Amino acid sequence: MISSPFLPTKATIRSMIPLAPDNYLFQLQLSDASMRNCRPGQFIELWVPGVGECPISVCSGSVDGMMELCIRQVGRVTTALFQKQEGDWIGLRGPYGEGFPLDEYKGKDLVLIAGGLGVAPIRSLWQYILDNRDDFGKLIIIYGMRHSIDLLFRAEFKILMRRRDIEVYIAAEEIEGPALPPVSLQLGRVTDMLRLAPIDDNFQAAICGPPVMYKYVIKELEEKGLTHQSIWLSLERHMKCGVGKCGHCFVGGQFTCRKGPVFRLSDLEFLPEVIECS
Amino acid sequence: MERFYCFSKDKFLDFFKALESFGTVQAPVRVTDQSFAFRAVKEPKEIAFEALRTILPPKKFFYPGRETLVSWQGNEVKDHQPEIQKQVLFGVHPCDLAGLGIMDTIFSAEPQDNHYLLRREATIVVGLSCMPDKHCFCKSMGTDTPDSSAYDIFLTDIGEEYFIEIKTPRAYALFENDQLLLKPITEEHREKYKDFWLKRSEAFQIGFASDNLRATMDMEWDNPVWEELGNRCLSCGNCVPVCPTCYCFDVIDVASLHEDGGERIREWDACQFTGFAKVAGDFNFRPGPVDRLKFWYRHKLHGFEDPHGMPTCVGCGRCTVSCPSGIDDIVGTVLRLQAKVEEEPKKGPANDK
Ligand SMILES: Cc1cc2nc3c(=O)[nH]c(=O)nc-3n(C[C@H](O)[C@H](O)[C@H](O)COP(=O)(O)OP(=O)(O)OC[C@H]3O[C@@H](n4cnc5c(N)ncnc54)[C@H](O)[C@@H]3O)c2cc1C
Ligand code: SF4
Ligand code: SF4
Ligand code: FES
Repeated sequence: MISSPFLPTKATIRSMIPLAPDNYLFQLQLSDASMRNCRPGQFIELWVPGVGECPISVCSGSVDGMMELCIRQVGRVTTALFQKQEGDWIGLRGPYGEGFPLDEYKGKDLVLIAGGLGVAPIRSLWQYILDNRDDFGKLIIIYGMRHSIDLLFRAEFKILMRRRDIEVYIAAEEIEGPALPPVSLQLGRVTDMLRLAPIDDNFQAAICGPPVMYKYVIKELEEKGLTHQSIWLSLERHMKCGVGKCGHCFVGGQFTCRKGPVFRLSDLEFLPEVIECS
Repeated sequence: MERFYCFSKDKFLDFFKALESFGTVQAPVRVTDQSFAFRAVKEPKEIAFEALRTILPPKKFFYPGRETLVSWQGNEVKDHQPEIQKQVLFGVHPCDLAGLGIMDTIFSAEPQDNHYLLRREATIVVGLSCMPDKHCFCKSMGTDTPDSSAYDIFLTDIGEEYFIEIKTPRAYALFENDQLLLKPITEEHREKYKDFWLKRSEAFQIGFASDNLRATMDMEWDNPVWEELGNRCLSCGNCVPVCPTCYCFDVIDVASLHEDGGERIREWDACQFTGFAKVAGDFNFRPGPVDRLKFWYRHKLHGFEDPHGMPTCVGCGRCTVSCPSGIDDIVGTVLRLQAKVEEEPKKGPANDK
């Protein structure tokens, strides 16, 4: 008897930590071992019974009995989730996708670039790298957002910025509201930070952000000497099933949910609809 | 036992009875002057042997338009087990057999889709030969020879008799009690069989060269033909349910009104609908009808070669006959894309308004 790929496992909400307006960090207590081998960059399908499912990135560097998800309230499922209380249960399926190419990254210098909520999967990556710091070379994190009030993981960035083995550049297009606990923010875009950062052609880049960001970031990385072989993008696509069946995430010739969501830029070359959108 | 036999058309009732001994027979029946549908039949006389394309392809028997995947009640979440009934699907033509083969590939790829596979295993498929009409182009797609992974039995109409190929043990078992029905084939039967398939191959009225479809689609991505077709597409999505290989779905929750519980339901979806590729922030990768139409064509003609090694159009012509705007003319469109110099766009009915 084959079991259904659509059967969720249960997870209990242990805590809901506000990070910024409309953004919570959910800490979930898992009921089984299905998420144990989660890798940075993979995602899960989160189910609120009676409302529906949506794809959410794994946000913690390692997953044992607990998993963290950073979620923005935007529509039906996420709103219903925000109305839940600590102790309530929800469903999870996954983990899905290939995630970031950790083997490829080993021993290399890395620049992680996040725009807005794209910082959620990028956080799982830096946490993993810091847990295994000796396996990787230099680490630069670049994070940009529209309004400074939307800065996620303030407390964590404050600690990261004190470390000597990472360089962090954070930029907001507009300064708005308090910056507490303070992290040093610059006025500008992700691309401005990229220009400042000491990146050379030995770096590998991991990018996640709103679809419009990609082409500007890629251009900047090209200027730094990176080839398309060294640039990895996490693509956001409409994902319903996560298992290569529902067809929603098909792009070029691939199911983003299976082969992605992280792709090597050189593998996306000449495919229509990959980066541009309106 | 042998693989090839023949039986006289006079004996069709006996053949039908043998099929019925396995389960309900589903076969094409005439529903209007011009349309046919696969329905449960009790007698051979209900069967429309002349049917070419049914309104919906056979996929509906394995992958219904709407079905429950998971249910929950209070704290308990359960895998929903579909009710499976044994059935025989009679009269499936080569294009639809190829369509089934493609659906099999999709739903049996890891992780396997248990609902589809359980229904598929409970069904004997009986293929039937056909003569192409003016919308058939399976020959161009290479799906004109019956896909032997998709059928249990295949019948070729050789005049007074059927030439029958029996492929699976469960199909042999159907005839064990009626040893008199199937007759050994003679040299004459072989000749008639070969003749039939040669004639059929020559009977195609439309088509195109399909060996360069990838290049055609990729090179002609910005061809003005697309704008013209896109302007006429109504995004009605008609072309999708009728296609034997369109498998996309949506999954929705239907909560019970009376208690704390409900079902997660899968429903056919269509990439021609506006919201199909929308992501957070209301970004849409295929905002206009033209983007979605092109995506659909690409997917059908070669986009599926990367994940599964084959194109997904099987040349049945259903989309062509069901498109209210007349733009799902795959053959016409490919020929225009392949033409050396693009002619002035022809004015279609929707443009003249
Ligand atoms: C791989 C991946 C990882 C993601 N990671 C996160 C994350 O870590 N945190 C987070 O807050 N969000 C994440 N998202 C985005 C998140 O999935 C959407 O915001 C979510 O689907 C909205 O669901 P909703 O029901 O609340 O909104 P809806 O009411 O459905 O609509 C709100 C918006 O979400 C879009 N949307 C709806 N359904 C989907 C879907 N199935 N896939 C993609 N977009 C959809 C709609 O087009 C609309 O713009 C991720 C998306 C993907 C594809
Ligand atoms: S694309 Fe059209 S002609 Fe091709 S298989 Fe689908 S419905 Fe038939
Ligand atoms: S191509 Fe034709 S059938 Fe398909 S969505 Fe457009 S108008 Fe409807
Ligand atoms: S999310 Fe369903 S195919 Fe990728």
